Amino acid sequence: MAVTTRLTWNEEKRLQKLLGNVSLSLLYQSSVHGCSIKDMLARCSCQGSTITVIYLGDNIFGAFLLEHYPKTVQSVRKQNSSFFFSLQNNKTTAFLNTSLKITDEELAFHSSNHEEWFFSLVPKKHKLWLLHSLGKELAMNSYHDYSYRECEVFRVEGIKNEANYVSRITGATEYRNMLLEHLRAYKPCVDLVPEIRILLLGPVGSGKSSFFNSVKSIFQGHVTRQATVGSDITSITEMYRIYSIKDGKEGKSLPFMICDSMGLDEKDGVGLCMGDIPHILKGCMPDRYQFNPHQPITSRHSDFIISPSLKDRIHCVAYVLDINSINDLSSKMVVKFKQVQKEVLNCGTAQVVLLTKVNNYHDVLQDNFLNMKKSITSQSQVINVHKMLNIPISNILMVENYASVWEQDPVKDILILSVLRQMLRAADNSLEDLPLSETGEILGQSELCM
Amino acid sequence: MAMTTSLTWMQEKILQILLRGKKFSLLYKASAHEFSPSNLFEICCNQGPILILIYGDHVIGAYVSENCQRETPVSILLFAFQETEISRCKIGPYEPLKLFGGNVCESNLEFYINLRKQKVTMNLKLIKILNLPECSNISFQECEVFRCEDLLDTRKIQGVTVLRESLLSALRTYKPYKELVHQTRILLLGPVGAGKSSFFNSVKSVFRGHVTHQALVGSDTTGITEQYRTYSIKDGKDGKSLPFILCDSMGLDEEEGMCMGDILHILKGHISDRYQFNFTKPITPGHGNWNDFPLLEDRIHCVAIVFDANSVEDLSSEMVAKIKRIRREMIKCGMAHVVLLTHVDNMALIRKGDLIDIYRYMPVKLKLEAVHEKLGFALSDILVVSNYTSEWDVDPVKDVLILSALRQMLWAADDFLEDLPLEETDIRSKYLTRCAREENDYVNP
Repeated sequence: MAVTTRLTWNEEKRLQKLLGNVSLSLLYQSSVHGCSIKDMLARCSCQGSTITVIYLGDNIFGAFLLEHYPKTVQSVRKQNSSFFFSLQNNKTTAFLNTSLKITDEELAFHSSNHEEWFFSLVPKKHKLWLLHSLGKELAMNSYHDYSYRECEVFRVEGIKNEANYVSRITGATEYRNMLLEHLRAYKPCVDLVPEIRILLLGPVGSGKSSFFNSVKSIFQGHVTRQATVGSDITSITEMYRIYSIKDGKEGKSLPFMICDSMGLDEKDGVGLCMGDIPHILKGCMPDRYQFNPHQPITSRHSDFIISPSLKDRIHCVAYVLDINSINDLSSKMVVKFKQVQKEVLNCGTAQVVLLTKVNNYHDVLQDNFLNMKKSITSQSQVINVHKMLNIPISNILMVENYASVWEQDPVKDILILSVLRQMLRAADNSLEDLPLSETGEILGQSELCM
Repeated sequence: MAMTTSLTWMQEKILQILLRGKKFSLLYKASAHEFSPSNLFEICCNQGPILILIYGDHVIGAYVSENCQRETPVSILLFAFQETEISRCKIGPYEPLKLFGGNVCESNLEFYINLRKQKVTMNLKLIKILNLPECSNISFQECEVFRCEDLLDTRKIQGVTVLRESLLSALRTYKPYKELVHQTRILLLGPVGAGKSSFFNSVKSVFRGHVTHQALVGSDTTGITEQYRTYSIKDGKDGKSLPFILCDSMGLDEEEGMCMGDILHILKGHISDRYQFNFTKPITPGHGNWNDFPLLEDRIHCVAIVFDANSVEDLSSEMVAKIKRIRREMIKCGMAHVVLLTHVDNMALIRKGDLIDIYRYMPVKLKLEAVHEKLGFALSDILVVSNYTSEWDVDPVKDVLILSALRQMLWAADDFLEDLPLEETDIRSKYLTRCAREENDYVNP
């Protein structure tokens, strides 16, 4: 006889992903090991974090417990250390913060402040009692109690950062989708500009093209590789590209564009030519321009945009830096950065810093995802960049790009999307700040052109 | 006390091979559940076959190959880890309870674990067989018990089969980006013997339902494939053509092999099916296989650079330089590309069960890192497969790897098509298709 879970392989994988790429070990199965609370606790106590899975018709319900199952019958447990979820055929999942109470007969789950009862398990009778409104929300039949087929308990291994795990898992997917909606519906504050253009500038291999690929992958729903990435001694990107991103495969274009440039190099005559930067910022540089490290574009170039309008300009510059390289950035590179920044300031363009390759990306945001944590923004890397470029800490942003096809993660998405939102906000600020005369002047010019 | 095993990855792997592809789920750990036999049995009875491990100066184990119950006698496999090897012997049948003393006088037993005192007692004969130091009482610090399941049980095979079906239907109904072309062309490029033709054969086999060998494969030093072949694949034996074409080229070689010039001509669609490669010089316009005005249809939309996963670290520096040069050229003309590592099933220690979650498998992760380091390709662009070479019949596990790789290639091709400048897709392709159609109509009214 072998003890095998009732979950199909596919369901198991979905569950693992839902819980943040964890692995599961089956500890207890009611049909094999007996269905009393005592049988259950005997096998499940002192096993670390667990999920209890209940099979009810086509539905699978689960309750996650961050702490051990107790050895004996025990009352109310700590707040915010457990949650309830449901895995329906192909539908999304409801999350609910809960706290647990165990008696001789039942496992009862309450709201995290203990005030409201959500659901109970009576293992002896194979019964599940569900709050009426909850049952409705999950599109269950309108009975109050249900007989379930089986109850299984798994140990959950591989939880990153236990401290805010519960709030992260329960809130992440919803927050991610909210951000997506937000970005889809975004409109630049100036009517003349249909899309915000974000320029990525930074050293070779800092992850500029990867950031574009990451953003596109989120909106596309699978990993994309439109911008070639990888590593080499010199920049892989040798062409100026203005990428527009579609919402889904056939969807409409999103209200922002990402402009990808060649990597900066500390040596002159290698990498992006300094003389090209003002042309890019003003919007004179055509898409697909082949960079020449030795000399900048001139107005004689066949595709040179002679009188760019406000919409062709760069509205936000992101200085892209590998967070691990900041503390040993060469002085030549710093000088180069300051030169670049001078040009950006001259044009009055908004500027942010984008730190990439943040391995501990799970830790960057607060539990409610609204802000970066103090402990993160007070890191030496952030302070150094802040001092070097004199950019406010709130505009020093962090991401971990998608480097592997196989690990989708809502928290990673949240960070990337939040960063994008900050860039758009920065762009809006600088557009609002534009003197009327300049908007007028540019307007006049573009009318003249037409 | 955290419930994680003290077993190293390597030890677990060795055990997995010893017990023929088993997966271990930790149930009991003495330091978390007390050094108490009754706790151990309460947790570990009725869990199917179990594995008991004892950690002292040596790791000693006992494998109960049948469902473990306190008082049903079963035969037991004892083993002990040496540095890299494992020595073993069968004992029993015993009641599992007796292994932990039970009610029997200690001296009668050849092997016995005193959990409370954290000592193992065994007779001299066993100590010799297991290559352990001669000492009748071996003390230990930790004891763990695992449930053993097949790494590839029916539940997983079923799951993999479902996944295969969904991949198959996704690939059958795939349409190239904006339907700019009818069929996506994927070029297979790589060193001699890397498995380019085998990959085509494998893809064809998956859609045919049994292993086929249309493209000749082998392992001659200069490469078996000397012709440029573009293979369209039918869905089933008489089905309609699938929406992609695999293009098989001659192997790359430090000196001989395919010319650089030919690669560029292929990418642009100048070379047609069945061109006989000449490694001394590239094709010239006017050749019977030269296409003067290739359409978007004729161009390559994604390149897969194929390597044997087992020898990719040993590529000569000339070959690395050549690959890097090709990569630069591809980047220059905006060519989408991925890397395909073949023969992963031949990697050391890998079991078939590992293939179902291959990208999480540690040695494969390290392999991808190595390829990234050596050749500079992005990690997300490296795919792995196991080709059909010696089999007669297809296998859902291998099918899933092959189909997933193919789907990634088609996604990459879509990125390429989306990235094309408007003038190259809209005006030119439409105009040229129309011209071609008119010409066709003219030739065969």
